[in-house]
Amino acid sequence: MPAKDYAATRYSRLAQITTRNAARLRPVWSFSTGVLGGHEGQPLVVGSTMYVVTPFPDVLYAFDLTRRGYPLKWKYRPDVNPTALGLACCDAINRGAVYADGKIIYNLLDGHTVAVDAVSGGELWKTQIADMGQGETTPMAPFVAGNRVIVGPSGGEFGIYGWVKGLDVATGKILWTAHNMGPDSLMLARPGRGRYRGDANIGVSTWEGDSWRRGGAPVWGWISYDPQLDLIYFGTGNPGPYNTEQRPGENKWTNSVLARRPRDGTLVWAYQFTPHDSWDFDSNAEMILADLVVGGRMRKVLVHFDKNGFAYTLDRVTGELLVAEPCANVTWAKGINKRTGMPIVDTTKTTGASRGNVQGICPSLEGGKSPASPAAYSPRTGLFYTATNNLCMNFEAAPVTHIAGTPYIGATTPYVIGPGGHGGEFIAWDAARGRKVWGIKEKFPVWSGSVVTAGDVVFFGTLDGWFKAADAKTGRELWKFKVGSGVVGAPISFRGPNGKQYIAVYAGIGGDWFLLSGDVRSDDPADVRPPADFAKDLAQHTSQGGIVWIFGL
Amino acid sequence: MVAACGRSDSGVSGGIPASIRYPDHVAAGGNQPPAVEVKNPIPSDSTVVADGGKIFSAMNCDGCHGGGATGWVGPSLVDGRWRYGGTDGALFQSIFYGRPRGMPAYGGILSPGAIWKIVSYIRAQPVPVTVPTESFK
Repeated sequence: MPAKDYAATRYSRLAQITTRNAARLRPVWSFSTGVLGGHEGQPLVVGSTMYVVTPFPDVLYAFDLTRRGYPLKWKYRPDVNPTALGLACCDAINRGAVYADGKIIYNLLDGHTVAVDAVSGGELWKTQIADMGQGETTPMAPFVAGNRVIVGPSGGEFGIYGWVKGLDVATGKILWTAHNMGPDSLMLARPGRGRYRGDANIGVSTWEGDSWRRGGAPVWGWISYDPQLDLIYFGTGNPGPYNTEQRPGENKWTNSVLARRPRDGTLVWAYQFTPHDSWDFDSNAEMILADLVVGGRMRKVLVHFDKNGFAYTLDRVTGELLVAEPCANVTWAKGINKRTGMPIVDTTKTTGASRGNVQGICPSLEGGKSPASPAAYSPRTGLFYTATNNLCMNFEAAPVTHIAGTPYIGATTPYVIGPGGHGGEFIAWDAARGRKVWGIKEKFPVWSGSVVTAGDVVFFGTLDGWFKAADAKTGRELWKFKVGSGVVGAPISFRGPNGKQYIAVYAGIGGDWFLLSGDVRSDDPADVRPPADFAKDLAQHTSQGGIVWIFGL
Repeated sequence: MVAACGRSDSGVSGGIPASIRYPDHVAAGGNQPPAVEVKNPIPSDSTVVADGGKIFSAMNCDGCHGGGATGWVGPSLVDGRWRYGGTDGALFQSIFYGRPRGMPAYGGILSPGAIWKIVSYIRAQPVPVTVPTESFK
């Protein structure tokens, strides 16, 4: 699984590395991927093989962990259409692979899902799932529930008509397609039956005219699964365009969590975090499943850190909102009404082409927490661990024309560092009470995923290229190592064939930082860019790279 | 939408084959442009540059190349550096035919006149003097 388990906990039961010995961690291996794009996602260890998917051109490496120096068993170099480079909004990243039924399954940026034999590296099937002509690309990590591969597209900045699809693990055949808005028949929704409480055709009635057809709602984040309830959970992205006045209404189900049946895609329940999004607050961040005591009662919950700056705890059986508190600096809303589930919006922060340049919106559209940096959950500490950003923005919207296959944005959104002057903070979060337990402030926004272990050590990386270990209970920094490029990937922990615990992580700044901080690039003499206004010295500490690191005791 | 953004006339103009014109959407480029050097028929002045700036925004060019064309997903167009040449004719061909690695072929939906105005807008942008050297404190 990309996030370790169905529940997306990124929790490792390995406990050889502890708070007492973590200071002795040392690099034991590294490998250049030969690719410079943002290295999001995580390696995948299955048995004694480590699989690594690179950013475009989406090379899949299989390393033999039983041999000295971890040489390659094979590498798979797919034929990926470079047109995708002009359609991926935010660097040509890939968020990783999933293992199922002897296959390594992952997405190519150009709208294909491939299954590769985990032993031989031979291609088993390749299915076109997305249409680049409509601005769809596919950097997300597929998810497998039962015998279904669940996939979705990027393209919230291209006016796509967002969807998820269920593919047959054995053949790659598309068995169902479920849209995130539009008529119930296309959303695979059955109002009044089961737990789905949306009004009939709410995916049309909460939009003006046919604006839902190009309304975005991409699925580029993470998916989780509760096998007992037989529900998959995933978040949808922003409505398009950013100019709200071109899409009046709540725009359901953009910026939402959807619970569907993996077998046939049926929509069972949905909850919208940011109705009629005014700020590009995608909800693609992971939905971590845990059983927590909330308000004195044990609940099956789903925990989600949204781009809008709030951390949500929902009942994952019903979608009922239990807790919603800010985990970052928030100015766009005064809070979330627990009874209605609706945000209490500060209307002076509402944007739109007629509203001019709206100032002082926090968080920025990078998110109070980026969906690109998945959180971890330790059942030992009961805490969630996540990167956060301390950025605010101004937002000036403008009318925009939909031209399929070109950007459909309509806003200029410069950022500033938020109150306190730190760019970000890595925090531990109590999701039952909705409060921060500890935090490690960083100069730059924190954009790395995390892993937490049974040794009560939590790992994360920084944009300026440090990989760090901290005490999961106290937040005390235990160890750090400069990995050669900023970290936007997610670390993992695994047991090697020799029985020892290791930690692996990618170095390779990119993703949004490829856009925002253009001077971290030096790969094209015909493309020389200025630094980010709000982080002028980031390139003093890092530049692009692509390195897989393994650390051990 | 500015008036110049309507569908181009059918048929061949300036050695441009009709086969790359797409009726429904802008297809990504990669067609090899003809070797001929096309000349800008529109003298550049402040009106043409302003019109070109409007078209640059209206056709979502800024969505990839960034506001002010300083670079976003697509490369900077104001750094004085060019992958496929920075003459008027080379810029026209890049816009009309598209380029590999993601530049769409706008010849499918923009008239040559509108593309020339975009060329004039891009060519009028000042190049910062500090491009090669970036110093840190």
